[in-house]
Amino acid sequence: MPIAHIMASGMTGIRAAGDLVARMEFSKNMRIGEAKEYVAKKVGVDTMDLSDEHVMREIREELDIGVITSVAGAAKGIAAKMNIEKLLDVKINSCDLFRKQIA
Amino acid sequence: MATEYALRMGDGKRVFLTKEKIIEEIEAGTADAADLGEISTLSGDEIDKLAEILMMPGKAVSVEQGMEVPVTHDIGTLRIDGDQGNSGVGIPSSRLVGCMMHERAFGADTMELGHIDYSFKPVKPVIANECQAMEVCQQNMIIPLFYGAMPNMGLYYTPDGPFENPGDLMKAFKIQEARESMEHAAEHMTRDMVWIMQRLFASGTDGVNFDTTAAAGDGDFYGTLHAVEALRTQFPDMYIEVGMAGELVLGMHGELEYDGVGLAGLWPHQQAPLVAKAGANVFGPVVNTNTSKTSAWNLARAVTFIKAAVEVSTLPCHVDMGMGVGGIPMLETPPIDAVTRASKAMVEIAGVDGI
Amino acid sequence: MASKEELIQELSDAIISCKKDAVLAAVEKAKEVMEPAEIIEKGLAAGMNEVGVLFERGKLFLPHVMMAADAMGAGVAVLEADLPEGSESKKLGVIVNGTVEGDVHDIGKSIVSTMLQSAGFEVHDIGRDVPLRNFIEKAKEVKANMIGLSALMTTTLPGQKEIIALLKEEGMRENVKVMVGGAPATQAWAEKIGADCYAENASEAVAKAKELLL
Repeated sequence: MPIAHIMASGMTGIRAAGDLVARMEFSKNMRIGEAKEYVAKKVGVDTMDLSDEHVMREIREELDIGVITSVAGAAKGIAAKMNIEKLLDVKINSCDLFRKQIA
Repeated sequence: MATEYALRMGDGKRVFLTKEKIIEEIEAGTADAADLGEISTLSGDEIDKLAEILMMPGKAVSVEQGMEVPVTHDIGTLRIDGDQGNSGVGIPSSRLVGCMMHERAFGADTMELGHIDYSFKPVKPVIANECQAMEVCQQNMIIPLFYGAMPNMGLYYTPDGPFENPGDLMKAFKIQEARESMEHAAEHMTRDMVWIMQRLFASGTDGVNFDTTAAAGDGDFYGTLHAVEALRTQFPDMYIEVGMAGELVLGMHGELEYDGVGLAGLWPHQQAPLVAKAGANVFGPVVNTNTSKTSAWNLARAVTFIKAAVEVSTLPCHVDMGMGVGGIPMLETPPIDAVTRASKAMVEIAGVDGI
Repeated sequence: MASKEELIQELSDAIISCKKDAVLAAVEKAKEVMEPAEIIEKGLAAGMNEVGVLFERGKLFLPHVMMAADAMGAGVAVLEADLPEGSESKKLGVIVNGTVEGDVHDIGKSIVSTMLQSAGFEVHDIGRDVPLRNFIEKAKEVKANMIGLSALMTTTLPGQKEIIALLKEEGMRENVKVMVGGAPATQAWAEKIGADCYAENASEAVAKAKELLL
């Protein structure tokens, strides 16, 4: 059933920019329109492009914020999230924990 | 003979209805919600739009391009490795594998780690296990990853917990004693949930999802709102979602208040401001499906309630759309045609910020 | 003097107010004009029905339901002395209610028990996670007219079916109605397992119990 919802209405996570929009809703209480505008501005695309795999695949690779397929050398996990922190100007808890652990 | 369209009953059974009958069902469903919640019915245009969605010929339908919303996935990875018969498909796998499958194979926008029992109380004895799992998952995941569980205040009553069962006390007309029992249970539940989330936040969780809040009535809602408030004070950056158990907060106690508002008898549009006041980031309104009614009736009723909540809420609203809620049939394998129609209607008519 | 309609309304309103004093005062007033059976049926019981509706609508809460039931009990007790011999008010029926074995969910089932009790049924709530055989034993012990079976999980739902089979084995099925409920139960499920009815919520449980037992 979650797959049916994702196909019907979802932004498809790291296939496109769903994780980024979700982060703005959860970290700054932004409603959907505002969250999309914010992310689109930071990424430099139209809001329509945030669910477009063709547009977002290239951007995700360029910004090194994690891509859905296994690309050797691409940032994954915490590394990708640290790049997302910089891109969206937000703090991510697991990145904070990681920084504390390596300090 | 008038054309008939294939819809569903609330239990998932297929039913064939004419356009006139579909409209009639939608009008009755929206009227029921409006009557109960003292909110507006859907407009004529919205009723037409909902009928159009229900009558679309394709098996699966979807939102218009550009209208997509984040789909937050609750109940953790239990759908994958759960084999208790009603929540999972029993594929032997670790929870990390389950999380990564949702991120990388299914395209989920957020994900959740959960305990197999999925209530907060039983997490306490295995907290180290949960923290370890969270740390491993956070190392590997990119999408926001929550810890999720149900407040489930029923677990604090006898025979599962320390406080006398208010149901038994009520039946013996011991109303004051029942109320006191609920108050004690709520206090302990709050303490447990805060304690658990303090540890999981220290292990890197992005936040918490309180799932099926108020399942045990107004005391359950009271305890959860206080947990949200305490966590927000301690952790300004924690993502907090409060998802409800049903459209109505049942008045088991009847006199509990939060921010000067009585909690019993609140409908989604009245719940939303309190969830915001407590300090949550996202509100998850819920409307239960009536299995004896059609999907047109159920969806119209659910969309009407959710639309009213979305309109008044200052927070993003992620409507709960699992089995038996949000206009979706009560069936372990909900039909794709019904799920996708409900999904589209919630985004395009109710205007939700996520699912 | 108030008309009969006004007195009936007053009785009903007193029940909805959940105040025992108000109910007793209304009963005393009504006794001058109305027969005890009529006071109970048209005034007090009608008021309890309305209390059930208001609970489902989120306007009254469980403590109010119990206070109203308590007040109704006091009103009926006053009238019983005046009822003609042999027509003392009787319970509407005897119901054994519980959540089937393996299922610890309690709250919904308790609300149903409370509402049935408030509506005038003799209810024996045997709890949650109840061994299936216990439903049969309790039904025998209290000479139940109905068994209510709750299950909140698809994994425990088959327990409802097994109890119906046990009732048949014991030769009790003819005399005991079976009502099923709980989140995964549906009308189709009730029909499939041969239950007498399915109830979507507590007020429907009361209505269907009345339908089957009165």
